[in-house]
Amino acid sequence: MQRGPTAGSMVSNHSRGEPLSTLAAEYQSGSPILLEKIKVLGDKYAAIRRTRGDGNCFFRSFMFSYLEHILETQDREEVDRIKIKVEECRKTLQSLGYVDFTFEDFFALFLEQLDDVLQGNENSISHEELLNRSRDQSVSDYVVMFFRFVTTGEIRKRSPFFEPFISGLTNTTVEQFCKSSVEPMGEESDHMHITALSDALGVPIRVVYLDRSSCEAGGVSVNHHNFVPAPGNLPSATSVSSESINPFITMLYRPGHYDILYPK
Amino acid sequence: MSTPARKRLMRDFKRLQQDPPAGISGAPQDSNIMLWNAVIFGPDDTSWDGGTFKLTLQFSEDYPNKPPTVRFVSRMFHPNIYADGSICLDILQNQWSPIYDVAAILTSIQDNHGGCSGSDFQVLLRLLNDVDFCWNSLLCDPNPNSPANSEAARMFSENKREYNRRVREIVEQSWTAD
Repeated sequence: MQRGPTAGSMVSNHSRGEPLSTLAAEYQSGSPILLEKIKVLGDKYAAIRRTRGDGNCFFRSFMFSYLEHILETQDREEVDRIKIKVEECRKTLQSLGYVDFTFEDFFALFLEQLDDVLQGNENSISHEELLNRSRDQSVSDYVVMFFRFVTTGEIRKRSPFFEPFISGLTNTTVEQFCKSSVEPMGEESDHMHITALSDALGVPIRVVYLDRSSCEAGGVSVNHHNFVPAPGNLPSATSVSSESINPFITMLYRPGHYDILYPK
Repeated sequence: MSTPARKRLMRDFKRLQQDPPAGISGAPQDSNIMLWNAVIFGPDDTSWDGGTFKLTLQFSEDYPNKPPTVRFVSRMFHPNIYADGSICLDILQNQWSPIYDVAAILTSIQDNHGGCSGSDFQVLLRLLNDVDFCWNSLLCDPNPNSPANSEAARMFSENKREYNRRVREIVEQSWTAD
């Protein structure tokens, strides 16, 4: 589904997203439930950043959100941690029989972005430059593809775990699913993709659902789900209890599309 | 000038030289790494047996994020090959992924449990060999009633003998075409 952002931009251009009121404006003459929910969202969230609705929106949102987090926190410990996970992903792909040169450029480009958002290097970049790169097809699509490689590796590696979800949803094998729904650019992401990426990189992700569902009793509430990797994979900054976990990446899901949400 | 696409194509070429898959060959043209010539040999024990079929692969600077345009130069008679030689094959269209290199385009790696290390088969060779496979992979045109070559499709399902005769003609033409 093609939704949301202005044509041509992969990630919207506001320095700290757009205020949630722009989201409400989209539904002004639409569903009252959605407007009610957006009001509830406003208690916790300040802004939204839109990503292009080209089927890569989950991965692109993740890319921008993660790199922006590192840029703002300068959390070198987290960078060291994720680099170890990235190397594990590389080994996973190798052990699955993927040929190195088909994925190494994508890995190298992501690692370069990680180094560049850390300040104090020759190549350090500003927030504005991060935005530019996220909107530059040659960088942005390569990083999206990197995440697709990571995701496919994780799903195939843990094929017995993912198999029931995949056969329930698509009636295909794990291999067919990866080939047709993970590895090609532009294929939309589902909870399998999110689970696999979150687990592989050890990064918790919160997805907030904005849809027309409502519970009758007790007024409108907005559901969310935290994708929490197994303990031991987690960034050092997050607390281990999954009840109280507070992912630093939050996405807004509307059926068919993911954008980035900024908490207050 | 070395761009990411060109660098990648050099590595594709190196792999194809070091580890050439059976039944195919391919190389960039002397002056242009973005344009490749390839040859596939008709699979044994099929009506394509003995044929040598030429193709071109035209790459863009978006490679490997975008697939090359692959086209048969030799005349073909096949339900999934258009009159101009272009091919209806999912991985060359909407199911493309940068995991495919030139060797993989010509030779796809069959999946089985435990990963990609299973037995190899040639996608394009198999395209010639097994039309059912093509229907399955025909995401670009899921309607078997409107194939790339409707005459070949109809003959394939209604008159296999005539279909095979036409294929043998194509095989013989492939020996004399330059």
